[in-house]
Amino acid sequence: MNIKGTLFKLSETSGASGDETNVSELALGMLKQYCPDARITNGNVIGNFGKFKEELPLLVLDAHIDQIGMIVTYITDDGFVKIGNIGGIDRRLLPAQPVVIHGKKDVKGVICSVPPHLTSNGKEVLSFDDTAIDTGMTKSELDEIISLGDTITFDVKCHELLNSRVTGGAFDDRSGIVSILYALECLKDKKTAYNVTVIFSSQEELGERGAKIGAFEINPDIALAVDVSFAYAQGEDENKCGYLGKGAMIGVSPSLSRKISDKLINTAKENNIPYQIEVMNGLTSTNADRYAVNREGAEVCTVSIPLRNMHTPVEVIDLKDVELTGKLIAEFITE
Amino acid sequence: MKNLLKELCLADSISGDEIEIRNIIIEKIKDFCEYRIDPLGNLICFRKGKKTPDKKLMICAHMDEVGFIVTAIRPDGTLLFDMVGGVDPSVTIGRQVKVGKNRIYGVVGSTAVHNLSREQREKLPEMKNMYIDIGAESKEDAEKYVNLGDCIYFESEFAELGENRIKSKAIDDRAGCAIMINLIREEPEYDTYFVFNVQEEIGLRGSRVSAFSLQPDFAIVLESTTASDIDGVCGAKKVCSLGSGSVVSFMDRSTVYDRQLYKLAFDIAKEENLPCQTKTMIAGGNDAGAIHITGKGIRTVAVSVPCRYLHSASCVIEESDFKNSYLLVKTLSKRILEI
Repeated sequence: MNIKGTLFKLSETSGASGDETNVSELALGMLKQYCPDARITNGNVIGNFGKFKEELPLLVLDAHIDQIGMIVTYITDDGFVKIGNIGGIDRRLLPAQPVVIHGKKDVKGVICSVPPHLTSNGKEVLSFDDTAIDTGMTKSELDEIISLGDTITFDVKCHELLNSRVTGGAFDDRSGIVSILYALECLKDKKTAYNVTVIFSSQEELGERGAKIGAFEINPDIALAVDVSFAYAQGEDENKCGYLGKGAMIGVSPSLSRKISDKLINTAKENNIPYQIEVMNGLTSTNADRYAVNREGAEVCTVSIPLRNMHTPVEVIDLKDVELTGKLIAEFITE
Repeated sequence: MKNLLKELCLADSISGDEIEIRNIIIEKIKDFCEYRIDPLGNLICFRKGKKTPDKKLMICAHMDEVGFIVTAIRPDGTLLFDMVGGVDPSVTIGRQVKVGKNRIYGVVGSTAVHNLSREQREKLPEMKNMYIDIGAESKEDAEKYVNLGDCIYFESEFAELGENRIKSKAIDDRAGCAIMINLIREEPEYDTYFVFNVQEEIGLRGSRVSAFSLQPDFAIVLESTTASDIDGVCGAKKVCSLGSGSVVSFMDRSTVYDRQLYKLAFDIAKEENLPCQTKTMIAGGNDAGAIHITGKGIRTVAVSVPCRYLHSASCVIEESDFKNSYLLVKTLSKRILEI
């Protein structure tokens, strides 16, 4: 499996929360290679891996398919597109940022930036109410292609950096999707200790909504939320971050199952797979929070890929971590 | 003309290192004029016309673009940098860049929004808190690819917006360069000097010496100037607008333009039915500031293409303004010598 190629393809396909169809269909095609019965149900991509065995517990591998973005709220008479946010966006980096509006067809635009002669008094970052997109089109041209409620994503191409590091948008959480696909690749023809169901869940960025209904539908005994977490970089608290290139960050937290955390750690140790520990003190702000309290409850843990510049068009990860995360998951599942 | 502009905009040449763009320009013009390169790197061209005028005319534009320079390499392999020319931190944070001669990809990183306090999220970003991440694992690793003083360029796609607009980095002032290349490739009415200047963005350095060495009677500066006709801005604060034609200003922060030439430009625009506008605020400045007070003084006018988000990786112009500026300068360069 070509980890980089798969990641770049998924990252460059749009899927803001609530409008994941483009990327879901792409991911569905990829998942079907391993889970022939895979389908899209209420926004979630769901597939069963291998033959179901009555005696085995059911484990869900979850990664969220959606990404942060923006949404069209109004088109002004001058043809500027007014927007709202989908998920947590850093407004400090919006000026002059290239974006794509996903209308009847994709429309390229630039977020308006107020020039210095008009900002000498203002020291504050613009609110979404004062932000607009410049598309080069008139209102009547836009009305043909764009509707209120259309979603918007950053216009960004993935690039290789030095070593095995790469940059792009939406690595949160397309890199998690790739890790799961890689884990399934490693598990081909292997005996598993669990029945495995994969859920690429929707709307995580709006409060783990896809995982809530996906968890209810599948009702797993165990769930691993494969997401991204903070990698140390200048401006971050080193004590609260993992490092790029040092492997998956295994979550330890009151809201996670210590049994599963320990089992993941032991699996890593036994198989000489580098790993890191991510300690949290309550909820994890990942889909794990949803699976844990689904129906009668489940044993859950987070397995996170370290990532820099989260929720920006310049997210950075190390491809080694995507591979190591996939390996760890595969070993965990192997009988 | 759009393809030419694209080629010029995508060339990476920040102030003080204009070799790449200059070489491209030389290839385009070498069969049509005599040229030389002065000690600062300005490209000075002489284009023979149909007639030799009594007076000397210089048309100029600057080749350099804004960008950044590597100032330090940190132990973790990230780069510290400073801006070259006026770049707003708000259009620097969260961008892709290219570093050094090998154009290594990098990104301008910042603290994740999740980890900022409520106050920090509302505070404008500052250069001193930013760094460039090229994927290096350590200082030694980074040093294999990057040297102190290496240039850093915006990574940007040259894209069409709608039917009539263009988005790219470096439109300021490759638009002016493109107009000059077109003028050189046609036979002008009169002998004309064309100068592609260096180092405009760090304080009008190149134009100072090229104007001195040519000592022309007249100068036409071709530029790209800030348009703020964006949502929520009204009246005079728009300064100038996309689609309303070339911008000929009477005054900016560095120059009070020659009144007769200012009027001549508008007269020509009217006669030839070319849209033309002036700036509605005293803002900005360009090479005219250095040129008009060079030597014993040079009568100077500037013709600019209105441009939104000027010093960013996403400058936006309207093609008609670019073409109209070319047409206006074509006639202006003839009529100015007939004054």
